[in-house]
Amino acid sequence: MRRGDREAYAELVRRHAPIALRTATLLGAGSDAEDVVQEAFVKAYGALSAFRRGAAFRPWLLRIVGNETRNLHRGAGRRRAREQVVWERTEPLLLGTAESSDPAGALLATERRRELVVSMAKLSEAQRQVVTCRFLLDLDERETATVLNLPRGTVKSRLSRALRTLGQELERSGDSMGDRAGAAEVSGGS
Amino acid sequence: MAADTEHELIAELRSLGRSVAPPVPGDDLEVAVMSRLAEAPVRRPSAAVPLRIERGTRWLAGRRRRTVALVAAILAALLVTPPVRAAVSDWFSFAGVIVRDDPSPAPTVSQPPPAVPTVTTSLTLQQAEALVAFPPSLPSDLGPPQGVEVSTDRRVLSVSWSSGRDGPVRMDQFDGRLDYAYMKAARQVEFIEIDGTPALWFEQPHEVSILNADGTTRRETARLAGHTLIWEAGGTTLRLEGEFSRARAEEIARSTEPVR
Repeated sequence: MRRGDREAYAELVRRHAPIALRTATLLGAGSDAEDVVQEAFVKAYGALSAFRRGAAFRPWLLRIVGNETRNLHRGAGRRRAREQVVWERTEPLLLGTAESSDPAGALLATERRRELVVSMAKLSEAQRQVVTCRFLLDLDERETATVLNLPRGTVKSRLSRALRTLGQELERSGDSMGDRAGAAEVSGGS
Repeated sequence: MAADTEHELIAELRSLGRSVAPPVPGDDLEVAVMSRLAEAPVRRPSAAVPLRIERGTRWLAGRRRRTVALVAAILAALLVTPPVRAAVSDWFSFAGVIVRDDPSPAPTVSQPPPAVPTVTTSLTLQQAEALVAFPPSLPSDLGPPQGVEVSTDRRVLSVSWSSGRDGPVRMDQFDGRLDYAYMKAARQVEFIEIDGTPALWFEQPHEVSILNADGTTRRETARLAGHTLIWEAGGTTLRLEGEFSRARAEEIARSTEPVR
């Protein structure tokens, strides 16, 4: 590696490390996020020649991050078991019960947050992934498609189905709780 | 679900995502990545398949592999040099030429094509060949060149023809496996093939600068270039510039052969 290459790539690593870590974490890498991201940056360098002009670096990198996260769970047996592991690692972060989450900066009322996370548990893993990329990570539709290696149409249809399911689940839990105060608080602030 | 409710839900999901404290990347991440890369051997763009397909890179699998390999062959990229700190999305490199997006708007009035700078020095081809570390090539279509020169750092050999049916034509060549030699800022570039070899065609006038061996730009060398074809033959990068059509440029390229 030449000196100039090194400096330029180090800058790319610095610039994209935060979003790469967030992505790995929310896609289920949990405490292995840093290892996953390290692996992804090394592989991204090796495959940089496959990088197309006009393509954005970020979603391309995040796709490698997503793949590395999946590789992490490859040993976890059958698909259902793997998906279970992924969600078990992610759920505590979303609930704010894990160490690395930030209750002080929480923007959502605790009860509402719990309802949302419980509804997310009802989604299929495939639906959760598009919801995670598109909304939790706030990527746009095209980036989401690149990261998850899906056609844009699939992203769109999965999102709309996921939102419908989430809406129904929330309505159900809202009925039983008789309390939507948390929702009003959040939507007022965003 | 009503649109309002859906908007609320989306806003809540975004809040949920933001409320998860981002893991703070330690300096050791960068250090770890960079030290692992430093151990890896330097890849050369001339490799037939520059991609290292490693364990775990499953996204390269199957039908994508062929596409990726093709793109890889076209964009045999190493990395950008320090003065070219553009985001990766703004550049790529091809056989020792860095191409950047030119963000300036296209001129509204059509301008006359930039003049082709011809070579005024006249070394003999043998003299030039002795100065550079690669075998020069010439297009038989254009006959013997009228000017021959070698850059002071002996990296680039340039020849030109000032008269002939194609008008002024210039051809530069250098060892594209060793270094970047040119930087181009263009709005549009076409990926083409000449007899199965990847090539780039610049139809529009674009800025071209010569790079120093350490990758810094020689600002004073920046100039506007017209129609340009870039291709690679046997590790040598060839750059042909003139007021010809793409078809004619390709024809000249096909007639190009090593002098010996």
